[in-house]
Amino acid sequence: MLVTRSRTSRVVIQVVVTLLALPFLVPLVAMVQGSLGGRGLGNYVKVWETGVLPTYLLNSVLISVFAILIVYACTMLAAFGFSKLRIAGKEVWFWALLLALTMPEAVLLTPLFVTASAFDMYNQLVAVILPVAALQIPFTVLLARNFYDGIPTEIMEAARVDGANIWQVFWQVVLPLTRPIAAAIVVLTLISAWNAYLLPMLMLNDPGRQVLTLLPSYFVSQYTNDQTGVLAAAVIAAVPMLVAYLALQKYFERGLAAGALK
Amino acid sequence: MSLSATLPDAATPTGGAPAARPRRHGLKPTANGLPWILPAVVVVVGLIYFSIGYTGYVSTLDWNGFILTEPTFLGLANFSEMFGDPVFWKALEHTAVFYVVTFTVQTALGFTFAALMHSQVFLRGVYKVVVFVPTVLAPATMAPVFRQIFDADGQLNTFLRAVGLDGLAQTWLAGGTTAMAVVMLATIWQWTGLTFILFYAAMSQIDTEVLEAARVDGAGNLRTLWSIVWPMCRGTTVALATLGLIGALKTFDWPYLITKGGPNYATEFLGTYIYHTMLSEKRFGYAAAISVALLVLALACGVLMSLRNRREGRA
Repeated sequence: MLVTRSRTSRVVIQVVVTLLALPFLVPLVAMVQGSLGGRGLGNYVKVWETGVLPTYLLNSVLISVFAILIVYACTMLAAFGFSKLRIAGKEVWFWALLLALTMPEAVLLTPLFVTASAFDMYNQLVAVILPVAALQIPFTVLLARNFYDGIPTEIMEAARVDGANIWQVFWQVVLPLTRPIAAAIVVLTLISAWNAYLLPMLMLNDPGRQVLTLLPSYFVSQYTNDQTGVLAAAVIAAVPMLVAYLALQKYFERGLAAGALK
Repeated sequence: MSLSATLPDAATPTGGAPAARPRRHGLKPTANGLPWILPAVVVVVGLIYFSIGYTGYVSTLDWNGFILTEPTFLGLANFSEMFGDPVFWKALEHTAVFYVVTFTVQTALGFTFAALMHSQVFLRGVYKVVVFVPTVLAPATMAPVFRQIFDADGQLNTFLRAVGLDGLAQTWLAGGTTAMAVVMLATIWQWTGLTFILFYAAMSQIDTEVLEAARVDGAGNLRTLWSIVWPMCRGTTVALATLGLIGALKTFDWPYLITKGGPNYATEFLGTYIYHTMLSEKRFGYAAAISVALLVLALACGVLMSLRNRREGRA
């Protein structure tokens, strides 16, 4: 965008970019530095010794995996139906989904809380998985429908002429073409499931059955004012997502960008 | 990048426009799509629409949330209480201020950053990661860090004292205005990366010939940015503005985790207020009434958004 004719102006741009970017690094540096204060790596040992870490990690993984599976399956089927098949009152159904698009989590609090107590669903991962998925689906259906609309129907017709039924057309012809949008759906769902805080806090109140995002607050409740330990817990909670992002940078950036523009 | 989402029959700019027409003669007459959309509809209607209905019902009650306690029917009393509740209006005011500040700063930073990164920059990939990483990290994991930095003995005060600005050192989270500033800062820190990525993508679409023509006409860097690049990114800016508005209404994690809505309601948002009313005060009916208000506002934003989509779809 900016034309840099001289070496000086190039240096100026580099300096400005650096000055703008550095503040974004400060919280991460402060986190790692703080987590090593006092007992140093001993803080991490202390977090490990609470014994909840494997459970929390496993629960985060389970919630994310199942949320992704549910969202992916529901989205791919529904978007195909909306884009390519005949449905009575199609746009009414579509609007019914779209209306749920702006739904704030907080509106779900009262009903979920009461339903969970009525059906004794506390501390069950499914009480987190389903709401997380339900909040994600309207969004991903919208994304995927647009994508399906771009797939030429002729491809499907050719397969039909060859004798494939509608399910085979979907499974063998259409689904393999949807990889780019599938990647965006997986990334968006992963971020919202893995980073979810309010729903797990509300639904999983047994300290032995929580998730990674609740680790720092669990640590606070166990050792009040052990700030270094809390930060060590935060580092541990942040690492999996950090690794996932660095490994799949392109997909994260594309997925979030695609999600934001809908 | 299609913005014609809610206009289903519009040609999609994703490359399928010419193919979209003949499908009337395609599969439509043979396959019924209802079973295909059923799973999604069941999950969404079952949870979200059920929740909306249930919240509406509870909003007319005086109830402490225990199944065994008999609720009292209040009619619209919760709503009249809400309209006279200063904390409710405070929460709305905070949402508005929060939105204006975070949106403005994020847009300015994101745009500037995107423009700079489109120029000749050394180690571009590293800068991109640094700015984008906060977007994928959970507020729940980062909130303790922000609490630590702005603590009375935190890094910021230590730094201020070290450079001789002792006068500026203060208990950041104990003052209403400064606590709100910290909540905004955390939000901006998290979302600028996304703003940047979107502007970066929008700028990649701009024809370089347009920029060259401007330069031939004698426009400098700043002039080109302001008169050509910025207007051409308008679609992105508008999308971000609506997204930010809905995001502001949904705000919960940062204020709850950094300040718990305090001090003295100074960082209370609708989400945190609903949470406190429900779980600390056990006033489920009143919490539901505020939820209904939040829902109405969010839906209004949603309608606004689709109206915009519709207009851009036609354009």
